[in-house]
Amino acid sequence: MVKRVTCSRVVVVSLLASAMIGFGAESSRADAAKGKGVFEAKKCGSGDCHITQGPATEKTFADQLKKKGPELWYAGSKFKKEWLEKWLQDPIVIRPIEYNSLEKKNAGNHPKLSKAEADEVAEYLMTLTSKDVEAGVIQANKNIQGKQAFEKKQACQACHQIEKTGKVVGGMVAPSLVKAGERLQGDWVYAYLKKPKVFKPVKRMPIYEGYLSDVDMKNVAALIASF
Amino acid sequence: MNKKALYLLMIFAVMMTLGTGVSYAATAEENYKFYCTQCHGPQGKGDGINVTKDMAVTPRNHASAEDMSKLSDADITNAITDGGPANSKSPLMPPFGKTLTADEIKDMVSYLRKLCNCTAK
Ligand code: HEC
Ligand code: HEC
Repeated sequence: MVKRVTCSRVVVVSLLASAMIGFGAESSRADAAKGKGVFEAKKCGSGDCHITQGPATEKTFADQLKKKGPELWYAGSKFKKEWLEKWLQDPIVIRPIEYNSLEKKNAGNHPKLSKAEADEVAEYLMTLTSKDVEAGVIQANKNIQGKQAFEKKQACQACHQIEKTGKVVGGMVAPSLVKAGERLQGDWVYAYLKKPKVFKPVKRMPIYEGYLSDVDMKNVAALIASF
Repeated sequence: MNKKALYLLMIFAVMMTLGTGVSYAATAEENYKFYCTQCHGPQGKGDGINVTKDMAVTPRNHASAEDMSKLSDADITNAITDGGPANSKSPLMPPFGKTLTADEIKDMVSYLRKLCNCTAK
């Protein structure tokens, strides 16, 4: 008798749990679909703003320069979801100068979303993943080898802003890497360095294959993830 | 697989291999504009948008005959290919050996000689 009670309780509890998990997955799928709706309604994908369809097709400078914003077809492998939710509501400047420009200051006028919209769009963007990013390879780590490769062997700060003893220093053309660990997934940073043609075949950043070893790239990715 | 399909596949394979070897930009001027002016400036004077007050070394003034005549064509080739450290200079000059082809780098050297209107001393 006692046994039966426990047993049925277990059944009830596990039924409830699976229902909740099921419901959770169901609701995030629903949010992703809603997010896609918001993304389309606000025309985020049109007018060369954001490409959501991979793989990359840019071949010439003109292909890259006509784009008005970064492609998002691998956004789910690149960004941290919590960061997306926050940034879409409060889009602070990431690139000190305007996308693709070499002179115009970034006016910081990216459209803003409400909290509900931001959560849904983030949910949608997180479904856009790339098979070229292997998960679980890079752990955030302020390692000295990575710093050596980043600042001395190469000088990534020539184009990227970083934080140095509490001060922001570095070049203007590239996305700032200040607090990049809150924004980017380490595994994606490694893949970006390792497979430069997959994500961004045409860009002002040089290809580092052969100039940074595989270990250097892993160390640098771990370092950036710790920013 | 029939013969026609095989032919098409072969043509496709040839196109793919040709495609990967071809570089994106046509001329040295276009390459210079896209990759180099961000640091060396629109006229090559070393005053690109990346040159902030905390950049430890200023990019070479490509328009200066005095500065550029100190470099041999081989020096210039090496700096573009493997970055500043190839000439015991700063890594703030990045390596472009995997970004540009050897031919594009050769053209770039001639282009820089036009910018400075100089040859190696
Ligand atoms: C010559 C300038 C330049 C140098 C040097 C450079 N980068 Fe970049 N980097 C860029 C630009 C420009 C982009 C943005 C490309 C785009 O999305 O259009 C970029 C993008 C990136 C991104 C992706 C950031 C994002 O939010 O999309 C990472 C990560 C990165 N660089 C790391 C590095 C590392 C590590 C080094 C040094 C080994 C380095 N970069 C050196 C110009 C540079
Ligand atoms: C991220 C900034 C940056 C970019 C991009 C860049 N350079 Fe430089 N370049 C520098 C700096 C800084 C120096 C000075 C290095 C020194 O004197 O230690 C330099 C020096 C040079 C030199 C002189 C090397 C020597 O031995 O004195 C040449 C030649 C050169 N760059 C060509 C180019 C070309 C061509 C491109 C484009 C393909 C380019 N650079 C892109 C920053 C850059």
